[in-house]
Amino acid sequence: MNEATLRSAAALRARLAGRRVSPVGYGVLAALLAVGVQLFFGVAPPPAYGICVACHTRDMIAWLANHLAGTRWEIAPVSLTVPLLTPIGMFLGALAAAKRNHERRPTSLGTGLRSFVFGLLVVNSAIVALGCPTRLLLLGAYGEPLAVLAVLGVIAGILLGTFLLRQGIVR
Amino acid sequence: MAVAIVTLVMGVTLGYLAQRSRICFIGGLRDFVLVRDTALLKGAVAFFVTAWLAFSVAGSLHLVDWGVPTYAGQPAANAGQAAGGPIGWGLSLPLVIVTVVAGIALGLFSTLANGCPTRQHVLAAQGLRDAVYYLAGFYLGVVAYYLVTKPLLALVF
Repeated sequence: MNEATLRSAAALRARLAGRRVSPVGYGVLAALLAVGVQLFFGVAPPPAYGICVACHTRDMIAWLANHLAGTRWEIAPVSLTVPLLTPIGMFLGALAAAKRNHERRPTSLGTGLRSFVFGLLVVNSAIVALGCPTRLLLLGAYGEPLAVLAVLGVIAGILLGTFLLRQGIVR
Repeated sequence: MAVAIVTLVMGVTLGYLAQRSRICFIGGLRDFVLVRDTALLKGAVAFFVTAWLAFSVAGSLHLVDWGVPTYAGQPAANAGQAAGGPIGWGLSLPLVIVTVVAGIALGLFSTLANGCPTRQHVLAAQGLRDAVYYLAGFYLGVVAYYLVTKPLLALVF
């Protein structure tokens, strides 16, 4: 790499540092990536599977169990040989972003056990409901009516959750 | 192998952007209901509309094979999909009920947990200990799915 390339790379890095992305920007880019990896990089079948935090996690864990413990847990066809690694990538990408913007600091709200239980409940309901909220929107956009019904369920669940929070029934 | 690398790179990109945008598809509606803030909600709407347009354009260019089943190892694979074909209009009532109830549970628990799975990955990466516990439950929960949830659902279908 010559000096000019290095300098422009450094300039680009400096320009990106501390820069925020709008949620709309994330939404548009994530959707294009999700559809793009299916159409041009073979992340299918099933279709509308480009992004799914719950399903890809499920595929990774079940793939490991199948290969290490000899279980025969059913996973998505695309993950049979090697599982999709989206959630791992997400964590690493967020880690990089947090580090370079000095937003990584150890904190705790002291709700460890409660969070653990919610994580357990969320992944189970997500897998049954066809996927995490991202995949449900993706699959709904693809035209699957069952996913649209699941999205309506999620909306009802959020409304119920905010109601419980506002009434102080759950903290 | 290729798909693993593709999704890893895509995941890194998404994780980076998610940290910079504080995106949360669950938090969008929650913020709107609680404080009338639409910033995150617009992100979720933008995702849906863009995906819908992209699939429509790809479909009109004959890039999409609409005949492929949309299931992904879910209980739906054993129920409606098998009978209903590619896009499931042939939905059975138990399948609809289970899916909607699971959707409600997903929305409720995610709201009470303070964010969708994507957001929890970002929070864990930012050093929030509780989100790390959430992810532990999330990853171990997959084992619970195969050992408990799936056999239970097999009783319904």
